[in-house]
Amino acid sequence: MGKLAVVEVKLLAREPGAIFTLLIPLFILLAFGSSIEPGDTVLLPMALAIAVGLVGLYLLPTTLATYRERGILRRMSTTPVRPANLLAVQVILQLVLTLTTGALLIAIAGTVLNADLPTAVGQIAVTFLLGTGAMFAVGLLIAALARSGRTANGLGVLLYFPMAYLAGLMQPTDQMPKLLARVGEYTPLGAFRQSMHQLWTDTTPSPVLLAVLAAYAVAISAAAARFFRWE
Amino acid sequence: MVLDGVSFSVEEGEIFGILGPNGAGKTTAVECVEGLRRPDGGSIRVLGLDPIENRGTLCEQTGVQLQDTQLPDNLKVWEALDLYASFYAKPCDWRELLQQWGLEDKRDARFGKLSGGQRQRLFIALALVGDPRVVFLDELTTGLDPQARRATWSLIKQIRATGVTVVLVSHYMDEVEELCDRAAIFDQGRIVTLDTPSGIVAEIDAEYEMRFTLIAGDLADVAGLPGVVRVTRNGDYIVVTGRGDFATAVTAQLARDHVLVSDLRIDRRTLDDAFIALTGQPFD
Repeated sequence: MGKLAVVEVKLLAREPGAIFTLLIPLFILLAFGSSIEPGDTVLLPMALAIAVGLVGLYLLPTTLATYRERGILRRMSTTPVRPANLLAVQVILQLVLTLTTGALLIAIAGTVLNADLPTAVGQIAVTFLLGTGAMFAVGLLIAALARSGRTANGLGVLLYFPMAYLAGLMQPTDQMPKLLARVGEYTPLGAFRQSMHQLWTDTTPSPVLLAVLAAYAVAISAAAARFFRWE
Repeated sequence: MVLDGVSFSVEEGEIFGILGPNGAGKTTAVECVEGLRRPDGGSIRVLGLDPIENRGTLCEQTGVQLQDTQLPDNLKVWEALDLYASFYAKPCDWRELLQQWGLEDKRDARFGKLSGGQRQRLFIALALVGDPRVVFLDELTTGLDPQARRATWSLIKQIRATGVTVVLVSHYMDEVEELCDRAAIFDQGRIVTLDTPSGIVAEIDAEYEMRFTLIAGDLADVAGLPGVVRVTRNGDYIVVTGRGDFATAVTAQLARDHVLVSDLRIDRRTLDDAFIALTGQPFD
């Protein structure tokens, strides 16, 4: 398992896509951060949601579907190590990548951009993990259903834009049609961004939104596990 | 139903061929033996173990090269071998495999940059890295150039020389003739014959031809010799078609009659002919 993890870390580091998912939210934060007023509570939750969305909808499903398409899971199933180990290593690795990106975004916002940071570290961690859980579940479902890495990538793109729009990542929610903004709040990415936003405005995230995120994480992962094909 | 009444046993230390057209059920059969697929019925024992029940134990002692599989493009050759070696309790030294399979100078090359032949050698090395007693090689030389195929064949013989049993799935007759001690021909989910390659050829007794050009003397009654089916003559160019050992009878007759011929060619009977005779369809 140790060696598998080391090899997968190396592969991830050699994958340009992985670097991009790290750089895109960082770029957005820095590009918009310089022109934003102090005390802003919108930008950082947005950047965090973009980071989690990119890993969950692009990187995770594309990697896993490609592993299946290339017969890597199948080849592994002829060895004493079950291919489920490879999936587990990948999910953990991408979780670590997401957490690192999140920490980096918060650190840069706090230092370079002098942004206000909430003090409820425990609540931030819980919200971040629930949001990541929900988005990873969507990614796993894509990986379960897509026949090839290319299809998974396409499905990821197809889902990313409407989800990002509904989540208020394309334009702030107060400029969106009221109904769409309201619906968007209950999508996985929207609920995540909204709860993060609540944390930044120094309120506790709504238990309903956290429950929605947890429900997505559990229900969608269950569906992914049900439909996952190893070959 | 993909397979019906398929039964065969492989002896320790032999190269056993599984031949057949696409869709004949050969891959399905091998997948059941490898434990990748659960059969609806029948019984399978590999090294005395059940491929499904004793999966864990068996995986330690078997190596598999699968058709149509790849590795991540960015994985380096040594990393692949090192990683797969770590999967087994008692692996070989992968550095030796690297050398044995001529991949030493490709040690740090990424999988995506390897040629077809190099990939194939890496796959064989991966199948061997667990120090298996049995290896399954599926469509090993498909897509390789003739030189790489010949090189791969000599490597397969090396595997047998170390006492490892090899099960070779192929749709190349020449490959099976060259390598296999015994082979089973699959067609429509059944085994139509199982014997040594030369045994299969002899058993089918397909027609074959000998040709020559007459230089001096008269062609006597060759058509009446045992085994001869027909004689066609076009000027001095003669084609004799027959079965069994007719060619010996014909050449002996020519010698007795003091007939001089040139360009004598006797077509070797091949598994191809046997295959067509058995399955009623040409290969591919």
